[in-house]
This record gives sequence, C-alpha cells and structure tokens, in this order.
Amino acid sequence: MTTMDRLVGAGVDRIDGPAKVRGTAPYAYEQDPGEPIAHLAVVQSTVNRGRISRLDPSRAEALPGVLAVLTPANAPRLGKGLASDLPVLQSLDVHYQGQVVAAVVAETSEIAKAAVGAIAVGYDAEPPDVALSPDREDLYAPEKLMAGFATDSIIGDVDGALAAAVVSIDATYETPTQHHNPIEMHTSMARWDGDSLTLWDADQGPHNIVNDLVTGFGLDAGQVRVISPYVGGAFGSKAFTHPNQMLAAMAARVVGRTVVYELTRQQMFSLVGHRTPTIQRLRLGADPEGRLTAISHEVVEHTARIAEFAEQTATPTRVLYAAPHRRTTHRLARLDVPPPTIMRAPGETPGMFALESAMDELAVVLGLDPVELRIRNEPERDPERDLPWSTRNLVECLRTGAERFGWAGRDLRPGVRTEGRWLVGTGVASATYPTRRRKAQCRISVDGAGRYVVEIDGSDIGTGAWTALTQIAADALGTDMASVELRIGDSRLPFAGGAGGSTGLASWGTAIVFTARDLRKQLDEQHGGQPPAGGLSVDGELPGESPHAKTHSMHAYGAHFVEVRVDRDSGEVRVPRATSVYDAGTIVNAKTARSQLLGGFSMGVSMALHEGSVTDERYGHYVNHDLAEYHVATNADIGEIDISWLDVDDQLANPIGLKGIGEIGITGAAAAVANAYWHATRLRIRDLPITPDKYFRELGES
Amino acid sequence: MDFLQPTSWADALAVRAERSDAVPIAGGTDVMVDLNFDRRRPGALLDLGRVPELREWTVEDGTGGVGATGGVGGSTVRLGAGVPYSRIIDDLGARLPGLAMAARTVGSPQIRIRGTVGGNLGSASPAGDAHPPLLAAGAVVEVESAARGVRRIPAAEFFTGVKRNALEPDELIAAVLVPEAVGPQQFCKVGTRNAMVIAVSAFACALHPDRRAVGTGIGSAAPTPRRAPEAEEFLAGELESAGLWESRGDLPDGLARAFGERVAAAASPIDDVRGSAAYRRHSLAVMARRSVTWAWAEYQQDLRKAA
Ligand SMILES: Cc1cc2nc3c(=O)[nH]c(=O)nc-3n(C[C@H](O)[C@H](O)[C@H](O)COP(=O)(O)OP(=O)(O)OC[C@H]3O[C@@H](n4cnc5c(N)ncnc54)[C@H](O)[C@@H]3O)c2cc1C
Repeated sequence: MTTMDRLVGAGVDRIDGPAKVRGTAPYAYEQDPGEPIAHLAVVQSTVNRGRISRLDPSRAEALPGVLAVLTPANAPRLGKGLASDLPVLQSLDVHYQGQVVAAVVAETSEIAKAAVGAIAVGYDAEPPDVALSPDREDLYAPEKLMAGFATDSIIGDVDGALAAAVVSIDATYETPTQHHNPIEMHTSMARWDGDSLTLWDADQGPHNIVNDLVTGFGLDAGQVRVISPYVGGAFGSKAFTHPNQMLAAMAARVVGRTVVYELTRQQMFSLVGHRTPTIQRLRLGADPEGRLTAISHEVVEHTARIAEFAEQTATPTRVLYAAPHRRTTHRLARLDVPPPTIMRAPGETPGMFALESAMDELAVVLGLDPVELRIRNEPERDPERDLPWSTRNLVECLRTGAERFGWAGRDLRPGVRTEGRWLVGTGVASATYPTRRRKAQCRISVDGAGRYVVEIDGSDIGTGAWTALTQIAADALGTDMASVELRIGDSRLPFAGGAGGSTGLASWGTAIVFTARDLRKQLDEQHGGQPPAGGLSVDGELPGESPHAKTHSMHAYGAHFVEVRVDRDSGEVRVPRATSVYDAGTIVNAKTARSQLLGGFSMGVSMALHEGSVTDERYGHYVNHDLAEYHVATNADIGEIDISWLDVDDQLANPIGLKGIGEIGITGAAAAVANAYWHATRLRIRDLPITPDKYFRELGES
Repeated sequence: MDFLQPTSWADALAVRAERSDAVPIAGGTDVMVDLNFDRRRPGALLDLGRVPELREWTVEDGTGGVGATGGVGGSTVRLGAGVPYSRIIDDLGARLPGLAMAARTVGSPQIRIRGTVGGNLGSASPAGDAHPPLLAAGAVVEVESAARGVRRIPAAEFFTGVKRNALEPDELIAAVLVPEAVGPQQFCKVGTRNAMVIAVSAFACALHPDRRAVGTGIGSAAPTPRRAPEAEEFLAGELESAGLWESRGDLPDGLARAFGERVAAAASPIDDVRGSAAYRRHSLAVMARRSVTWAWAEYQQDLRKAA
C-alpha cells in the first residue's frame, strides 16, 4: 500500500452539495422519463373499518383530461403474496382511515385532484377501534419482534427480586404516535416499456422495493428497475414499499404512459407508516448503593389490523445495565390504524425514553448522581446474551460528556435554581443502538488511466452517503476522491440493502473495502500494480453479519447532557444547551457525521417537547395531520449543541471500524430532556410530549 | 380559474364588484394553503400585488378624522393593506411598537416577507397575530367598495365570528389606520414551539397616557380576537385614582395580577390540539400581568412627555 493521508475521518464537503444547491440533482418528482407524464391522485377512505357500499366514478371519468379512474372494481389484479397495505384497490374492505379506495389518473395534477372531489364513496362502517390501553383484553404477544428480536426475555426471579429490593421504583411512561415527516414527500414515477417497469422513486434502497413490484406485477427481477439517486429524507418511512409504488405502476400500466404519484403532506399521515404509541411500565430494584438487582420493562403498543409490526421497544433494556434478575415483554393491540413501520431507531427511541427516565427516578430515590448510578451498573458482558462486548465505552462517554458539559458539583435537588422567571435544571441520559451489517455486493472498475467507477445499490437519503462512500472507496483504492466515480441508488447496480438500521456504511462501505482489496490484489499480482490499458472490473461481496456477531455483542453508545429551562408562569420549555458524546467507532466524515448526530439529537428534543399525532377516538383520524399542527422542532427550539465522539474503532464490527451513526443520536435524548425538566421543576412528566399545559397539570392547577 | 391582476386601486375595486367569485390574494400565505387543502375553489384570484396604493404606508396628522379611538391630536399611520410584515418590522418599530413586535413572531422569514396585515384581517382568524396589537392600539380598518366608497370600521367591530369579518362582498381592505404609539406597547404569544407556530394564546397591551387609557387585545382565546374592556377600564381607573399617570410611580402590589385576572376573564377559550381552555386562560393572565409590568417599567423610564 502506498501511504497517503487517509480520507476516512476528514470533514469532507458533500460531493452532491453543489448539485443540490443548484437544483440540478434530480429527486424522484424531477426525473425525466422521456415522455409526457400523467398524474395520479387518490381518494382515501373516511372510515377506519368497514366496506365500500357505493363508489361512483362516472362524474370523474367524464371530466376533460381524466385518463382513468381506478377502483377496486376495475383495477388490475395484483399477484398474491403482497402483505400489509400493498394489495391496493384489490378489495372493498376498509382497514384504516386514509386507505386508498380509488385513484384518478389525469393529464395534470390539478385535474387529477379536482376529479378526486367528483368521486362519491359510501361505506358500511363500524365504529373505529383506535385507543391503546394496557387494560385491553385483546393484547397479545407477537411471535417475534421487528428485526427478529425475541418478544420477551426473562432471566431470574424478577418479581421476587423487586419485592426484596431495598430501593425500587415503579413507573409507567407513554409516548404518542409519531409521524416521520421527511421534507420530501413520497413520490413514485412509473414507466412501462412492454413488460419492463422503470420506477423513479423516493425510497431508502431500490432493491428493497423491487421484490414487491415483482410479486405484485408477476415479473422477473430483471424486468423491474428502481432508480433513487437523491432522496429528501426518510427516517424509515421510505424503507419499505408503500401503496404509492404499487399505485404508480398500476396506473401507468392502465393508461400506457408514465404516471407520477406524489403524496400530499396530509397523505403522509396515513399511507407511509408511523411510530406506534407505547405504554411502558418500568420497575427497577436496587441495593442501597444503587446496584440494580432487578429490571422489568413491559411494553404495550399497537399494530394494524392488516399487518403485524411489533416494535422492539424494550430491547435496549436487554443490554444497557447489569442486573441479575431481568424481564422485558412486548404486547400488542391490533387496532383500526394504518400499518406502523420503522421510524428512526425503532425500539430504542421510545424504549430509551422509559428506561433512562426510570434510571433518573431511581437516582433520585437513592440520592445518587445519575451519572454515577449508570457507571455503577456498567455490565462487564452483555447481561442477557452473556457475551463479551466488541467494544463498549459508555462510561467514557458519560465521563467525557460530564466534563464537557460542566456537570461536576451539580446540586441534586430539583426546583431550586432560577434565573428570572426561568426554572433551570440539567439532566443526563445514555444512548445506545445496535451495530449490525448486511449482505452487499459491489463492482469496481478501473480504466487504463486509473479512474475508478464504484457501483453499489447504496442509498443516500440526505445522510452524506455519497460523500462518505467515496471517501471509503478512495482510501481502499489508494487514490483520491476525484479519481472515484460512485454510482448508487439504482436497482441495476450490484445488490445492497437499504439505508436503515444504521447499517449503511457498515454494509456498503465494507463491501467496497473488500472489493477494492480484490481489485488491488489483481492489479498487483497480474498487472504489475498498474491498471491495464483495457481496464479491469472486479465484483465483490460482503456476505452479511460480521463473523464476530455471534460471539460478541456489538453496539454504539452515547451520553446526552441537557440544560432545560421552564418558564414558571407559562410552563414553556426551552433547551438552551446540550452536550452529546458518542462511541460510534470510526467516524468516516466528521462533517456529515456531526450533522447526523445533531439531527438525531434535535429529533429527540422534538420528541420530548413537540411531536405527537393526536388521534380522535370518536372519528378515528389523526387530527393534526399537517406540518402546521404536527410540530417538529424549529431552529429556534434548538440551542447550543456540543457534539463530539471518542476516538475509538470497532475492528470486530467491520474493517472500517465504524458502528453507524444514523440513529444513535435520537436514543435517550428525550429522556435527558425530561430528566432535566424534573431537575428544573420537581415535576416528572411521564407522557410525551412535554407541552406547557402539562406543567400546570402536574402542579394540580388545571 | 382566472387570475386577475389590476394595476390600480380603482381597477381592483371594479373587479371586486364585478367578480363575486373572485378571492383576493395579497401575500397568498393563507389563500394558497386553502387552495392546497381544497378548502375553496374560487372562480378567480384577484391579485392585489400590483396595486401600488396597498404597498405603502404614510403618516397622517391628527386632524384626519380617524375615528373615535384615534389619538387625540396625535399622528396616525396609514398602513396599506399590502405592506408585508418584514417592512413593518424594518420601518415601523418605533411608531407601531406593538404591531412590530407581533410581526416579528409571525411564521418564518419567508412568511414575513409575503404575509400582510390586510391578509391577516381578511382571514380574520382568532389566532391572527396582528389583531391583538391593532385592538390594543385602537386601530381602524379602512375598507372600500366601488359602489359605496370608503367605510371606516374600528378593529374591535371588524371581527364578527370565527374567521369572519365585517367586509361586504364587494369591498376590499384598503388600509389600517393605527394611531402612533404615545406610550409603551407590548405583545406576548405562547406557542408549543418557539417559531412557526399558531398561537395557543396571545395578548397585546398599550398604554395611552395622552388620553389616560389602556388598550388590550386577546388572541386565540375566543371565537374572535377581542378586547378586554373591563380590564382596560379597571387598570386605567386604578392608575388614575392613584395619580400614577403623572407620578410614574411603581404599580401597587397586586395591580398587575388583578389586571391579568380580568383579562383572563374576558376570554372564552376552547380546548383543542394546541392547548386546553384552562391553559389558555392561565397563560393570558400571565401574559397580561407580564406585559403590563414591562410596559409600566418602560413608561417609568420614558422621559418623553406624553402628548
Ligand atoms: C407557514 C405559515 C406560517 C404562518 N404563521 C403565522 C403566524 O405566526 N401568525 C399569523 O398571524 N399568521 C400566520 N400565518 C398565516 C398568514 O401568513 C397570515 O394570516 C398573513 O397575514 C396573511 O397575509 P397574506 O397577505 O399572505 O394573505 P392572503 O393569503 O393573500 O389572504 C388572506 C385572506 O385575506 C383576504 N385578503 C387579502 N388582502 C385583502 C384585501 N386587501 N382586501 C380584502 N381581502 C383581502 C384574502 O382573500 C384571503 O381571504 C402563517 C401562514 C403560513 C403558511
């Protein structure tokens, strides 16, 4: 290997930045299919459960410019084997409010939308069943959780240990339904050429989408091409196929023309998933020194009538702290709601709110510094799988964070610091997220002049993957970034899983490293280290999980320290400053990584203070289904955020040593805010979001 | 849908009279949302953006007969209906401090560049942020039709119901006549985030030392923006009887709080997604107490003599 400055680690500017700023990076809606585009708009059910009794498309069909109206009566039949909400327009049954019951294809989006209003639909409806409660008699234990986690885990005698514990807490936490709301609306543009389908699509991984299209339309994988080079955010809502891809492809087939379907913001509250609400009972038992003797984390959450999605909410509790007796359980209610899906750190995000709030409550009962409580319960090995850690630096994150934040000497007492009208407090919480990687294939070609093309169906949903993968490739090839042309976001490229589970760089990056090694070996051994005049192309593959994943427990960690101010008269909450320190292994791009961690933490503040989809239990819909009423944090809600990471790597996870950074930032963040809120006010808000009125609810004043 | 673009005020009024199916559009920050949500499908849009008269503000002196609540002998700002919030912030912070404070809290920079007070009045939302300071200042809305000419409607009479106003179908809003501040003014707004937020509740107050009066405006806590007349009279009376207008002495203990309670009592809020009725009342009491405390502190420091 030639020695040169490593690009991995540097804060390189986004290579796609100039094109995005100039508006020349084509998102799905802006792609040019090479022919005039027809537009699709949908009619959505206004009931949660029932059957369509009447559906008259004739007035819409008669409107000039309308090309077709698709209904359950005339829509093409899709192949068997599609799950959840993907068999679009295949039946008269309605399973959730917002379900697509008809679709209009027209010359323009305006005509299509106008025609939607001309379609009369009647329903035989039953009352909606949408209220989650731990007292429901129909709660059930799913066979497995998302990502294959076991539904329950029980070690030792939890109830006995809790009863015997000198110190204990028993508290129930609630998180509301949340919606992802990436800024780019889901968009699918479909074009058929004979029996071949091209879909320009906003998704988190073209290969993720291909299979459902193959199943739905009875095609071979070679007949479907999904193209998604630029995606305007996703957070999990674009990981899997949703009705939009099926509808666009169906409609294009019917009208024999390219059809585009861009969701409206409001449709994003019913058609592309949400995070389940959770009700979580936490019980902790400890000895007087604060060593945990028992942990119990029981989760109640919902799923849809037509699809089981079992969020792995209590799984962080299985790894974070030592305790001999432990239990985690998950129970689901099947409700008349749209199918839930993964949303940034599914499981860890709501689960860590509960666990890390409970740890804070325990520290209060013990009269112990909450940082110290966490350090005292640091497990030497994975406490449930009984395996060594690959690397684990949670304690180092806590200690470093405490120092950067100025935690030392913190007064444990709540509600004693004021600055003018502001009650001031500080709080801490840990962060954790699993480190994994997935199968990925890669092709690297070099021409006679030493220019490389790296091809892999990776995905950049705004994370910086374009840049980070190019850095990884340049290092692995021993060249500079300008000599590497990366191609991602196209199902014609070598297979890769989507952007999700913080596995992107671990999977795609590793596949690139392996393939680059092969290429360099061939160059060295067969071509004297120089690219042959006719060029050379090498295919490589990363089979999947790290060989060490079975023998080691692999996770990223972090610690958040937050200052919260609460207006003692109005209950308004501010987060003026925070410090987060991460053990996320190797950081590939210091600049885009900081953005990811900052964004993750900000989303956690947003969860703590603002986000929540309000369900109207009488009519079964989400009341605040737009960005004027579903509040996400604005710039003015985020104060000074100090982001840093430990200089560590995890060689057992992958050859780059990285752990993934897409999700770790949000985990624990809401708990840190809620804990600081308690420290400021003495009030423990256990149901998010912490809105101003809850201050008075807790004071008993309103 | 037709897009009508008159280039003079007279033409705009003529079009308004002819096309009853036309919806006027100024900044479009409400109209475009309505169209997008399919809340209305007008036959035409009447674009007011090219009517120069609407984009200006001028100062008129006190003899202009501004209406009962106009400043005695003071000047009045004639604020064209199409002046955007960003210009109010840049140009009118000293003359109309309450309105400028409210303007700073509207939406985002983009919305403040497009959005206008005329549009806020046209929408007449109970949560419109311009309304409380206009009420507190005693502003008058000037409307006009081709057939009947000009009408001047005190802001307090302009709001007739939830998102309803006193405008006749053939009328347009020409301007708002706002007396220039002769005393301190304040605006407060509570939202569930720190920007880009529809107020959970809002409150404006104005001290009018020239006529020894207090102005108030309540937002988002009743079917319409409204004043709190009892609170106004109570505070003005207490200030009068204690000789405080002249002495500029400290507010007696509990006066600001008692004022706040009266302001809260004037509201008739509802529970909704943004907040509970109880919270709205409570926050109004807090905002009223605070804003009058701040306003009074400013009055105490203010060395300029009242008119
Ligand atoms: C993202 C966003 C954030 C917002 N934040 C706030 C906020 O914080 N506070 C707030 O108060 N509002 C807010 N709004 C609402 C809106 O910006 C304001 O109501 C603004 O004042 C409307 O002004 P406009 O010029 O854009 O009105 P337009 O949308 O052009 O018109 C609004 C209404 O007034 C009528 N109209 C306009 N001009 C006249 C006229 N001269 N004569 C007769 N009728 C007329 C129109 O027909 C229409 O009914 C927000 C809107 C958006 C989209």
